[in-house]
Amino acid sequence: MTFKNLFIDHERSSEEEQWVREELAEQEQRFAKIDQQMHDLAPTRAKWYEEFFDRISVRGFNADGDQKVKIKRENLPAKPQDREDQVIWKYGVDSDDNG
Amino acid sequence: MARPHIEPFVDRDVTFKNMPLPGFGRGMHYKMLSMDTDTGACTMTVQLDGGYRQTPGFSWSEWEMIVIEGELQVDGRTVRKGHYFYVPAGYAMPAIESAQGALVLMMYNTGEPSLVETTEHHPLAQTDLYHDVDSYLDIAWAPGNVVRPAVATGILIKLLNYNPISHAMTFLYCMSPACYQDNISYHDCAEESYHLWGTSWMMQFGEIPTGGYFWRPAYINHGAFASEFGCIALGRVDSKLFNHFHYNPWSTPKQNQRRAAARVYQRDPLLYKWMVSYSHNHPHGPEDFEQTQAVRGPDHPHNEPTTDGHKQSHWHTHKHHHHSHD
Repeated sequence: MTFKNLFIDHERSSEEEQWVREELAEQEQRFAKIDQQMHDLAPTRAKWYEEFFDRISVRGFNADGDQKVKIKRENLPAKPQDREDQVIWKYGVDSDDNG
Repeated sequence: MARPHIEPFVDRDVTFKNMPLPGFGRGMHYKMLSMDTDTGACTMTVQLDGGYRQTPGFSWSEWEMIVIEGELQVDGRTVRKGHYFYVPAGYAMPAIESAQGALVLMMYNTGEPSLVETTEHHPLAQTDLYHDVDSYLDIAWAPGNVVRPAVATGILIKLLNYNPISHAMTFLYCMSPACYQDNISYHDCAEESYHLWGTSWMMQFGEIPTGGYFWRPAYINHGAFASEFGCIALGRVDSKLFNHFHYNPWSTPKQNQRRAAARVYQRDPLLYKWMVSYSHNHPHGPEDFEQTQAVRGPDHPHNEPTTDGHKQSHWHTHKHHHHSHD
């Protein structure tokens, strides 16, 4: 987070250090649970993707605001064969090993 | 490594914990939504018991807060749900009390929660940045087309805080009932949201109900979007929000980032060439002379001549060229 970069340097107390450590450990568990839940949602999501492709080819893709562009079916993207679909990326680009 | 991707998370699924950090007093309970692994910056749902009182004081971190339910008493005022506070680091807040209890969302942006008991601002506090507002009653909904490409018409916003340098924003947004936006989006910035009320749906993550939350690092696909019965949420971005829309659900963050850079090249080729070809790609960015230029300082003599704003030396001091018209 950059926001306004307002931070006044100070020493963190041992109590605060301990609290942050515990919260980060719990966050790891929280992340793992979400990661699994989103993995389990994959079959439903695959159906949602196909419904999305149908809508944007029949009703249109929101290109800007309410401006809709119909995408020809032959121009819809093909699913990559060399990797599984992934929607959770722990640290964004830093967690993407796909080159 | 900043904050990890937490999406979706529903705070109703976990219980409150007592806040053990010094300064916050008894009767403050929290649910951690996300935390920065480097700085301890975090976002929490916070329950304040009836009779809670927080002593006057400042935080080492800037922080923001919005009242979700209940009432707070702050400096002789009673503030209710929808009231938003932006508090700079080192800004000494007066006592915060809740006679009947309250549920609030607290966001510490640059460090872990802290409260130093005092009635004096820290010398480094940028006190003029403080502001608070009843966001429900005193700000009107505006179309979501403040950025282009824009979101669909059914998505409206109320801007709560804006950083003119980084373009980071805090805002309320709502989705009208039967709202639909059929595209996939990603941004060059991290994005955060907390559902104050109602349910929305995103194609990757499913439904996010009341109390639903996400922290999403940059370049991660999200959308299509829908809300059957409408929702209202608090949103934040940590730098400029640009909607990169597309319709490939399988693109990865790195592919999305490369596409974003390609679009900079297509739009600003000279700037792109300078940044890339001449190795002016320092991770903290090149120098912004406005932030580093030498200034005259307080001892510099006042400008001479002076102006009252109505008369300028460049007006009517030159010789007019007179000529006659036939």
